[in-house]
Amino acid sequence: MEFILSGFQKGITLIFSGNAEIFAIARLSLTVSVLATAAAVFVGVPLGGWIAVKKFPLKKLLIALVNTGMGLPPVVAGLVVMLFLSRSGPLGFLNWLYTPMGMIIAQIIIALPIITALSVSAMQSVDPRFYQQVLTLGASDWQAIKVCLKEIRLTVLAAVIAGFGRLVAEVGAVMIVGGNIRHQTRVLTTATVMETQMGNFDTAIALGLILLTLSFAVNMALTLIQQKKA
Amino acid sequence: MIKLSNLRLDFDTGFKLSVDSLNIRGGEVFAIIGPNGAGKTTLLNAMALLRKPASGTLEIMGCDALAPANKMFLRRAMSVVFSQPYLTNDTVYNNVALPLKLRGLKDGAAVEEALELFKISHLKGRNAKTLSQGESHRAALARAFAIRPKLLLLDEPFASLDERVKDTIARDLRKVITVYNAAVVFVTQDQGGALTLCDKLAVLMNGKIMQQGLPQDIFVRPVSREVADFVGVETILPGKVASRRDNLCAVETGGKTLMVVSDCGPGDSVFVCVRPEDVSVSLSADAGGRRNNFKSRVVSAAPWGLEYKVELDCGFTLRAAVTKQLVDGLGIKPGAEVYASFKATALHLIRRA
Repeated sequence: MEFILSGFQKGITLIFSGNAEIFAIARLSLTVSVLATAAAVFVGVPLGGWIAVKKFPLKKLLIALVNTGMGLPPVVAGLVVMLFLSRSGPLGFLNWLYTPMGMIIAQIIIALPIITALSVSAMQSVDPRFYQQVLTLGASDWQAIKVCLKEIRLTVLAAVIAGFGRLVAEVGAVMIVGGNIRHQTRVLTTATVMETQMGNFDTAIALGLILLTLSFAVNMALTLIQQKKA
Repeated sequence: MIKLSNLRLDFDTGFKLSVDSLNIRGGEVFAIIGPNGAGKTTLLNAMALLRKPASGTLEIMGCDALAPANKMFLRRAMSVVFSQPYLTNDTVYNNVALPLKLRGLKDGAAVEEALELFKISHLKGRNAKTLSQGESHRAALARAFAIRPKLLLLDEPFASLDERVKDTIARDLRKVITVYNAAVVFVTQDQGGALTLCDKLAVLMNGKIMQQGLPQDIFVRPVSREVADFVGVETILPGKVASRRDNLCAVETGGKTLMVVSDCGPGDSVFVCVRPEDVSVSLSADAGGRRNNFKSRVVSAAPWGLEYKVELDCGFTLRAAVTKQLVDGLGIKPGAEVYASFKATALHLIRRA
């Protein structure tokens, strides 16, 4: 019991000591997950809107596949991205393996189905006659999707929150693709795993606390935006 | 403006809409009336290019409206207003400006003018979701007119409004239509509303157009029993033409003889149509020159808007619309004896097979 308490004490001291390495790790965590979320939103939200309003063959199959993708195990995503980026893989020439860029790619693959699937279901909650009304106002298909998405922006923002939450807490894919290289690809989750395995519980607790704080701060910001618009 | 021929739309449910021919001219207010499930909205959606017909031709403003290449152009020449206003979660001003924005236009004057026409300028800063029903409908109409459409399609535009709001909006709409000289097509099951707004009328039933033409023709001279029933002919009596002199026919029905001006010939099986507002009810036997006069007994009298609907038994069942003053003055109540009279020219005969 005592080692837990002292772990917390030391962890908090470590945070306030302004340890440069820990803050660099936190910054990289945030950068990777924010960029991956942004990219997944940029593609997934319009894609989800399009899937929801368009009629095409095998639409239900596609939605089922996207929904399955929501539960994609990060280690599987990491493995696939690693194989593609490895020296002998088809994308090996990019030299992205064990770089933050590779980690972002892996995280986009994890977040894309989540944000797309949640956008599909958000868009399907829009009355089809509302969509038709927007079309009759002179909108092209994409313009009408945009107007509808703006209408359900709160739900879309919830999809963004869900996607970011998943990414910032994710460890499997960034571990495989990033490799947890000190000063290069070490992020909060991979560092926490490592420190725990090494028995450095106070550092692990400090990292965990920072991760929680970061996650809370970003979600608080998104929630404030969401509730302000309500 | 709109020409359709042999248009067919099929549904999974087995319902079929098939319109042989419909021609709507520019500057004309054309109403399509019919009961629930007749296919009115489907027909309107086809004109709004929201639903692709299975076969047939549809021409709007001289263009083949079924050609994908013309779709955006035609869609941007018209406005559609549904029974629900479907406003976005934004200010009234931005709602009215939306169709302009979607066309890449910025025309503050057009927005202000549309707001002004429908008397909602004072609401322009309000969020559209906070409007009353009547205000929302005004906003939807203003939005439809902001682009000065050449063609306006209205689907039950006033269905959810109460009578008073409906009347004032319909009056404003009539004015705006005159100002812009747009062709207007609207579908409704409210035949009263149709009469106050339209120049031409078509009756749609079971996916088919039963009759089209001037509203007074359709209301007074329906072509079939179903149309007669729908347009408010409340007395429809099966009978047989016994004789004819010039164009005055004597029609036997339920043991009585009615005199009707018609071109039907002796021996024809017919339905006699009597509109309730053409029946005069009085206590005296003097029919004042009306050729049909029957002593009858009041079966029931029920208030209907500002009037009363009175059911009379004169050997056959006759329904009459009577003002409240007359109901009070004549002491019309079940069991009372009155005289019911109507002109030979007010009646209409439908040949039946």
